[in-house]
Amino acid sequence: MTVTVGVDVGPSSTDAVLLDAGRPVLAVKVPSRPGDAVGSLVGAVTRLPADQRARAGALAVGLRVAARAVTGRSGLARVGVLRIGGAAADTVRPLFGWPEELRAAVCAGVANVAGGTGLAPLDGAPLDEPAIAAFGAELAGRAEAFAVSSVFAPVDGAQEREAARILRAHVGPDVPILLSGAVGALGLVPRENATVLDAALSVLVARVADELTAALPGLGLAPDADILVTRHDGTLMSLDYLRRQPGLSLGSGPACTLRGAGLLAGLRAAVVVDVGERRARVGVLSGGYPREAAPGERIGGVPVSLRFPDLLTVDADDHRGIAEAADRMQPAADRLPVVLVGGGAPRVPDAALAGFEVVRPEHGDVAGAFGAAASPVGGGAERIVHRPGALDAVRDEVRELARASAVRAGADPRRVRTVLDPEEFVPYLPGAVLLRARAFGPPSPL
Amino acid sequence: MHLDAEALIDFARGCAVLGSGGGGPVADTLPVAAQAIEECGPVPVVAPDALADDALMLPVSLVGSPAVAAERIGGRAEAERLAAHVAGLHGRPVAAVMSGEIGGQNGPFTVACAARLGVPLLDADSIGRAFPRLDQNVLELAGLSPSPAVLADEYGRTVVLDHIDGAYLEELARQVVAVFGGRAVSADYPLTAGQAARHAVRGSVTRAVRLGRGEEPVPLLTGKVAAVRRPGDGAAGVLLEGTGADAGRLVQVRARSEFVAAMEDGRALALVPDVIALIDARTGWAVPVEEARYGLRVRLVTLAADPVWYTEAGLRLAGPAAFGLDGLTHGPGREEAR
Repeated sequence: MTVTVGVDVGPSSTDAVLLDAGRPVLAVKVPSRPGDAVGSLVGAVTRLPADQRARAGALAVGLRVAARAVTGRSGLARVGVLRIGGAAADTVRPLFGWPEELRAAVCAGVANVAGGTGLAPLDGAPLDEPAIAAFGAELAGRAEAFAVSSVFAPVDGAQEREAARILRAHVGPDVPILLSGAVGALGLVPRENATVLDAALSVLVARVADELTAALPGLGLAPDADILVTRHDGTLMSLDYLRRQPGLSLGSGPACTLRGAGLLAGLRAAVVVDVGERRARVGVLSGGYPREAAPGERIGGVPVSLRFPDLLTVDADDHRGIAEAADRMQPAADRLPVVLVGGGAPRVPDAALAGFEVVRPEHGDVAGAFGAAASPVGGGAERIVHRPGALDAVRDEVRELARASAVRAGADPRRVRTVLDPEEFVPYLPGAVLLRARAFGPPSPL
Repeated sequence: MHLDAEALIDFARGCAVLGSGGGGPVADTLPVAAQAIEECGPVPVVAPDALADDALMLPVSLVGSPAVAAERIGGRAEAERLAAHVAGLHGRPVAAVMSGEIGGQNGPFTVACAARLGVPLLDADSIGRAFPRLDQNVLELAGLSPSPAVLADEYGRTVVLDHIDGAYLEELARQVVAVFGGRAVSADYPLTAGQAARHAVRGSVTRAVRLGRGEEPVPLLTGKVAAVRRPGDGAAGVLLEGTGADAGRLVQVRARSEFVAAMEDGRALALVPDVIALIDARTGWAVPVEEARYGLRVRLVTLAADPVWYTEAGLRLAGPAAFGLDGLTHGPGREEAR
């Protein structure tokens, strides 16, 4: 019998729910403490009855600190941005096109050194190690974090790891060094941008992770209870994983609310309307998980390789707008039910959504907290396969990479399930296929 | 006309439409051009007959996989190296850059080349839209030789292909690009300004800018993507379901690297070489074939290609049969073109 506490730290209120075998048994809502995510969480969790929460073996937390830091340009670390591609990859310089204030808040220095690999054996160039050492020496003591991105790192990350080793020697053991290969997706510029944001968020997120860890013993959960945090795809990850990729928590608030709404309504496919105080967000659940926005999403004005939930945002009091958004998000001819959740849902009358099957699940006002508590730990991986015949082996490899990523994120290795997405043909590269796998599992008991 | 930072975005939006769903994502090369313009200044756009008849043109295109090009974004010295090779082969300097393919990511990429070389961009290109094969262009139809064709990668490694015809260029270039790891910059079908004036698709840069500024044709259908099938090898089928005034209509859009047919009730609304584009209702940008996905709100639009594509030779090279669509009859785009 698994008992989990889920918490959603929102801008105005913090919700906590207690789940017993997947069903909510208790829910509380307290006002959030501005600027104090962990204090808000403690305030909500400790309102749950002590005897009940003492049975909880996991705490799943939805945090918006990363998103708020990027949009508010506050609490961001100054990042040393190292690209490995040299004169063969300099038509778009690092941080080109970033909004000026964000660039100014984040950038401690930029370098583009020779190196990088490719799909063919003779592609790429040797790593310019002295240039990396010089960059590390120049920024030591000035950069609070580093972001390292090399050409084709998702295929071969060896040069990034070597660069990190050289930087480490100059900047000491405590400065976070984030590698783009961990971010995964192909496309140098958006992957580099995502890595820079990860690095910029790393100090803030590490502090919040430390605060959460410190607060855990006082929450009165089961003695070996673990903390997990929500991510953009509607799954969970460990605090250690969050420290390595803080950007994965961007977009996690809406993702968890979408999942929670579907689970509460007993629907795996639905249009979900989350009505807040001022804004309503409309998204789509497909197979129980948020439908992803198209590639090319931006955060804080910056194109990133992260995949966010596909959302339309409208004014919470504009009922016509809500109805239109719910219609626009309908995926196909068979109309999906519309699930209304969030604190403002009661203000939207059924009549505003005439023509839709409207579902208002019980506990819908704490859907985000519920979604956090009821989600599995997740992971994912993608690869381009260039050699025909190698497909079967690479399918297994990508599944294994996704599985390993879920385990690193905190999933129980014995119970991880992997899903291979439909294979995508790579345009104009005959014989090449893009493979993508996702993995899900319950939290590891350790 | 000059392409400055602002006009560049309109131009890129138009190139995406003219890509007919192919030619690679414009979003990947737009920043390449934006940075080149920022560093080197706006790019003048000139008509071919504004130049001396024998002025040497540099026809450029990115070839290979956009997925690889998104990773290997190229170097600032790339255009200069390529231009030096071509100038060396012809014994005179390059006077202007011409896009090998206006549709898709090559449009903005060639703006970057012109900016870096400090020469104008020709208001013309070799296709007028996007096609998957290197020899599917109007210069081939005009009987121009593709050689000497120059292929270079971002390290400056260069291969010159000489004494070949268009079909051979396609075969050989693909092999070279594979060895290059999936990306090369190509200067093929070398030509003069006079030849461009007589044989290239004229006005394609200004056409893209106008399209990008919103001079879009009346949509064939306004609706949403109800299903996407990708059987592989670049083939895709996108089912569009009409909404609003078009409720109840179903249109199937077929793709072979590019969108090549839009079918309703067994009848072609549009058929290659017509340009067929799905415009994302939310962003106003044309959707590449590989990014068409379930639930997307779109306008289906079609544009006539250059009239030469509707001739017998043009249809043989890049008409329905060249894309495995034998037996389909032409849609309204053809009549408009005539």
